[in-house]
Amino acid sequence: MSNSHLLLLSGFPRAPLQNGIGRYVPQLKRMTIKFCKSSGDSKGTREFIESKLVDFAKENPGTVVYVKPRRHRAPCVQAEYLNGEEHHISLHNMSLEETTKWINLLPMRSGRPTNLRLRKYWHTDSPSIQGVWSPFTNRDPALNLAQFPMEEFSKRKNLTKTATEIILERWQEQKEKDSTAPVQEKTTS
Amino acid sequence: MTSRLSALPVLFVRLQRPCPLVQNRGFKRWLRPTLQTLKKRKERMDPEPLPRRSSFTDWNYKSELFAFGKRLGEDLNLDVLRTAVTTREFVLNEIDQQKAVGIEIDIQMNDNSKMILEGSEIINNYSLNFLRSAFPKLPEEGVIAVQTYLTCEENLSTLAKNLGVADLMLTPEHPVEAVTLSNGFKALVAAISESSGIERANLFVRDFVMTQLVGKNINELWEVNDPLNLLSSILQRDGKQPFEPRIVAETGRNTILANYQVGLYVNKELIGLGCGESIKIATEVAARDALRELFDTTESMKPVNFDVESLPQTFANFSIQDWSSKNVEKLMKSSR
Repeated sequence: MSNSHLLLLSGFPRAPLQNGIGRYVPQLKRMTIKFCKSSGDSKGTREFIESKLVDFAKENPGTVVYVKPRRHRAPCVQAEYLNGEEHHISLHNMSLEETTKWINLLPMRSGRPTNLRLRKYWHTDSPSIQGVWSPFTNRDPALNLAQFPMEEFSKRKNLTKTATEIILERWQEQKEKDSTAPVQEKTTS
Repeated sequence: MTSRLSALPVLFVRLQRPCPLVQNRGFKRWLRPTLQTLKKRKERMDPEPLPRRSSFTDWNYKSELFAFGKRLGEDLNLDVLRTAVTTREFVLNEIDQQKAVGIEIDIQMNDNSKMILEGSEIINNYSLNFLRSAFPKLPEEGVIAVQTYLTCEENLSTLAKNLGVADLMLTPEHPVEAVTLSNGFKALVAAISESSGIERANLFVRDFVMTQLVGKNINELWEVNDPLNLLSSILQRDGKQPFEPRIVAETGRNTILANYQVGLYVNKELIGLGCGESIKIATEVAARDALRELFDTTESMKPVNFDVESLPQTFANFSIQDWSSKNVEKLMKSSR
């Protein structure tokens, strides 16, 4: 992430008005296609208007589509969303296929500002199932009756054996062996 | 002073050379002061009024109304919808304008003042019914607090704005105020009821108003004032022993970060658990926890089911004054 991203708006993906829980409301309310009737850079846009625009409007009855010819200016499409956002896409020198792809993108968007940096690609209202942590979460109830200071808690944990202890242990083992060995000898003889 | 000095040599040059129209390349030193002056003049003037969307060339009111109905998935009568978004002030304004021009007054426009009342009634009835069947154990005071939150002006105006009612409103004020928007939403519900029946209007309220409950904590919308007294009176009505608060755990006594965990016990059975910086606060929090358990509004409760087609006409839930778990169980059994 470069430094310029620090100044971007940031947020989480949220559906406007809990969209989809009750019923789905398409968020694109208005679309204006601006193009020129004569110049070459509007060719793809003109073809789109001739061949695909009516089908687009039929598929998206919740969107009002306006077509606005203007002389010798580059074509573009302006989309207005229910949250008040406006998106512009330039259609300059685009072929029919490209134009179709870009225009079909518009009804799929929620109108979220395009410059919003998503902090995460998911969002949840209840991030913790067990609830807010407190010092008493998952605490051993036996501690309620404990009297402090407790010797058990003063001990060091995970101690490895010292060299002295190992030698003492071995000496003890040896001693036990020696004490049992003569008895065995006696029984055999 | 400087301008005078700078003007002099120019005059001199012009007199010297009679054909001066030569394009000059280089730093445009006039650009910055010009822009500065323009900006200052703009700042001195009043702020420019926001243009109305309906004043743009790409605007067709009939298409907008049609698309609005389709967007909501409703089969709306366009004349009724038009009435629903027309305010009383707009009609009066039109009459005044016609008078001023001198045209014979011939306005066949209805305004939404009647529809606002109808829609408001539909919204209130359905939301009460919905909340009572979604939270059968919540006292009536809580149900009304949640309903007041859902149908408040702020909430309804946000809904209206995000459904695109603001652009369609026929009203002299601009930008449209929150009251007008919330009234517009109420009138819209009435319009749906008039075009396709009360069932569709109820479903509309469910899908847009009631779903605003998602992610909201009911206990934040309704606050119990005296939880300890309320809990003890409920226990008394249920014929149970009074609760006994006991410290379950504590840390940092006599420090500024002291924390106590208090449990409320009835007959050696834990009914509520709460933490706080003092024993008194922790006891109160524990009482709130016990009440949440009784009213079935715990944090781990199941999410509200919005997938209900029709609701039975429900009666009011028990009020706080005569709420007891025995009564509520009986009521829930009889309603099933």
